[in-house]
Amino acid sequence: MGLWIEILRSSILAAIPIALASLGGAFTYYTDVFNVALEGMMLVGAFLAVIGSYFTGSWAMGLLVGALGGLVIGIIFALFAVYMGADHFVTGMALNMFAVGGTTFTLRRLFGIKGALVSSRIVGIPSWNIPLLSKIPVLREVISGHPFAVYIALLLIALSHYLLFRTKWGLRLRAVGEDAQVLDSLGVSSRRIKTLSILGSGILCGFGGAFLSLGYVALFAEGMTGGRGWIALSVINVSRGRPWGLLLVSLVFGFFEGLGMSLQGMGLAPQFPQMIPYIITIVAVYVYSRRERRVKAA
Amino acid sequence: MRHRRVILFSLFGVVIAVTVGLLLLWALGYSALEGYAYLLEYSLLSRTALFSTLSRAALLVLLGLSASTAFASGALNLGQSGQFLIGAMAATVFGLFVNLPAFLQIPLSLAVAALAGMLYASIAAFFRRRFNMNELIVTLMLNFVADYFTQFLIAGPLFEEGRQSPASPAINASGWFPVYKGFDTGILVALLAFILIYLLWNRSKTGYEWTIMGQNSIFSRIGGCPNEENFTKAMLVSGALAALAGALVIMGGIQHRFMPGIKANYADDGIMIAIVANNKVVATAIYAIMFAIMRTGAMGMELETGVPLEFVHVLTAITVLFVVASREYSQYLIDRFSAFLRARRISSRIEDYAGRDSSGSMD
Repeated sequence: MGLWIEILRSSILAAIPIALASLGGAFTYYTDVFNVALEGMMLVGAFLAVIGSYFTGSWAMGLLVGALGGLVIGIIFALFAVYMGADHFVTGMALNMFAVGGTTFTLRRLFGIKGALVSSRIVGIPSWNIPLLSKIPVLREVISGHPFAVYIALLLIALSHYLLFRTKWGLRLRAVGEDAQVLDSLGVSSRRIKTLSILGSGILCGFGGAFLSLGYVALFAEGMTGGRGWIALSVINVSRGRPWGLLLVSLVFGFFEGLGMSLQGMGLAPQFPQMIPYIITIVAVYVYSRRERRVKAA
Repeated sequence: MRHRRVILFSLFGVVIAVTVGLLLLWALGYSALEGYAYLLEYSLLSRTALFSTLSRAALLVLLGLSASTAFASGALNLGQSGQFLIGAMAATVFGLFVNLPAFLQIPLSLAVAALAGMLYASIAAFFRRRFNMNELIVTLMLNFVADYFTQFLIAGPLFEEGRQSPASPAINASGWFPVYKGFDTGILVALLAFILIYLLWNRSKTGYEWTIMGQNSIFSRIGGCPNEENFTKAMLVSGALAALAGALVIMGGIQHRFMPGIKANYADDGIMIAIVANNKVVATAIYAIMFAIMRTGAMGMELETGVPLEFVHVLTAITVLFVVASREYSQYLIDRFSAFLRARRISSRIEDYAGRDSSGSMD
């Protein structure tokens, strides 16, 4: 029982960065921007969050700076991909590369370190007990007492759902993906909406990265996103960009990541449990392609 | 004409990127020009430097060709790093357990590595053809799987007893590339592969069909090309090239053993090279050499001026962005400008016509 509660707790923690990144990617999914820069946005977010927290001694500043870092990558992406007509895939890959180079370079330059920045000056996101929930026996142990950003993430998901499906802006955003020219002909700039969706995805990915480095752990390691941006991309495909759907899929991923971590303590070679999230991603792509085929057949 | 324009604007992009790099170094308080000078000195201006640049260029040519072969034919193989590791591991295992005379050992070892890379790439190709699964995500995820799997092998079954950190034992010496006065003959493998791939793209039916498929897969299908088979072929060739690079790392150099971190950034660089070269074979080789110069010279630059060598990662990413943007944006501007000229010509003709018409009615 204790073990399962531990796994469920860690699966929520592991799910949040992926959920946030895929929520960001959902915005660009609807505007038909092939956003492969999720990984880079997350990495920059994770790095700057730690830097912000290190120098200001405040986790809130860390989160803010991390989200801004994602935003900056988003701005560059929009500039090149939307306004200069560069290929989305190419721009995204170059930005991922830029994120890897930029973070390792700055780490070397500021601290003279290679590898990981671990310091007591990095202030993590504090945990938070939900007033009412903390009275309920089992649920309390699973849901309550997480870094409070978990609850902010849930709020963001609800907000995004409302934004995408219940507002004029959301309707326009989804229309851009369907047919951008129709919008332009009606006097709504599809370029502007595409740009906004990219900036939004930048902020959310930056926030997701910040959660990874300040909520999940309190350190930065080179390349610490470990493909989570790509996993997020497949989460978006599987859930078709529906905010609640992608939370659910992210939780499944989180569960397997948590399971993997628990298995590592059981004498198995650690490399096999570490493969689990990536293999699960392949399985998810399989499930998606099966369903896609059924939809086409129907 | 179009060809010359592409080269011109690519050069323009490189110049901008180099300038941005200079400004960046200058803004960070380094002596920028001096740094660049050392970068060139330590990558080209001595025999050891030149040969080590060439060795690196050999790897980057292979990985760049791996990416460009896939991309240009429309197969999104991002699995270079996994195929590289699997190739390196295959060469290691072969070199540990087989010991033949060198003239057999070396080609067989390369063949085994290439086969292993093909096999690994074929997983994604199979999933794509059988289940219509997106090869981009699958190949990417298989990179992580390959990484952990090889880590497991060098920490467990292949671990050399008595070492501090995980690594395999050194492979049998018959599988080492001969080194003549510092020149690693493994470089010739990359040269050979380059020639073969060039011929494949420019002189073979498959290469022609790949070109058509990459530009418009529906057109090529209607034209009667076997798209499915060509896709698999592209994935296999791409996987084999990446795996060869892995074998080169094990069979060349000094260590001759599988150690953690041997993949470095080669695979990412290969993808960048293919992208910046617009998936053209010759351009891929040129940019591979350019990237190799930057990477090799970076160590000298760090040694002499204290600029962290990671700066070069930033510089290559900036180069890619600016070259691609200047190429595509210039095309966009040229299109717009020629449309503008055409419109003006037409409108002046209309005015001429209207003017003649009105003057005619005056009479």
